[in-house]
Amino acid sequence: MAMQKNKIICPKCGAEMNHHADKLIDPVKPEDMKHVNPALGGVIEELHYCPGCGAVASRRYE
Amino acid sequence: MTESRPLNIPVILGTTRKGRMSEQAARFMVGQIEKRNRVKTELIDICKLPMPIDDAGDGIKDAAFSEKMVMADALVIVTPEYNHSFPGLLKHILDSCLKEYIHKAAGIVGVSAGPFGGVRAIQDFLPVIRELGLVNIFWDVNFGNVSSAFDQSGNLLDQAFVARADKFLNELIWMAKTLRYGRDNIALDS
Repeated sequence: MAMQKNKIICPKCGAEMNHHADKLIDPVKPEDMKHVNPALGGVIEELHYCPGCGAVASRRYE
Repeated sequence: MTESRPLNIPVILGTTRKGRMSEQAARFMVGQIEKRNRVKTELIDICKLPMPIDDAGDGIKDAAFSEKMVMADALVIVTPEYNHSFPGLLKHILDSCLKEYIHKAAGIVGVSAGPFGGVRAIQDFLPVIRELGLVNIFWDVNFGNVSSAFDQSGNLLDQAFVARADKFLNELIWMAKTLRYGRDNIALDS
């Protein structure tokens, strides 16, 4: 699985965020099911951190 | 390494029980952190947080608590031991966030009326900490026989806890700096 290449821009300070982790999470809501990776057994959430201000962001791997 | 922002290490007081002795331990830890250069702290008392029970996880997220977790570089979690584990309400609160914790440091302070200082609560807590994406350090602070550790006014009676807290914080701050460097600079695919 390749990471999504487009960087997230920090909504607080405008800096480019660093994608530092992928987290496997359990699907909780019915709409989460379409994001489940069957090989990994859950939904992959990308975690991004802002070196400028410390904000965090996440997005579902598509 | 980004040094412009001081480290932020809040202390979470993880019980709502009346007469809780963990509050003295939590206030002591806040005082110890305040002695450190370029480290900010505050006491987060879960008793003061909104705690709906008609949903769980992200569904009960409190914006103010979430923002405090976003801005934290590490957490000191003070937990009593109730029936050999940590309080369910502490987990209820912690479960309301996730992305806020990832690759941040955690250290646990155990509190018990008996002699073991919350060791069973801590052991029970570690898998939860791991799944939340926090990185737990290998030092704990264990307040066993807590009623004899502080006087009625909350003053520390056993000065050995100063040295124990010092070692705990040395490790926690090292881990917090290291993980912030990683979050700042090291991409997952590098």
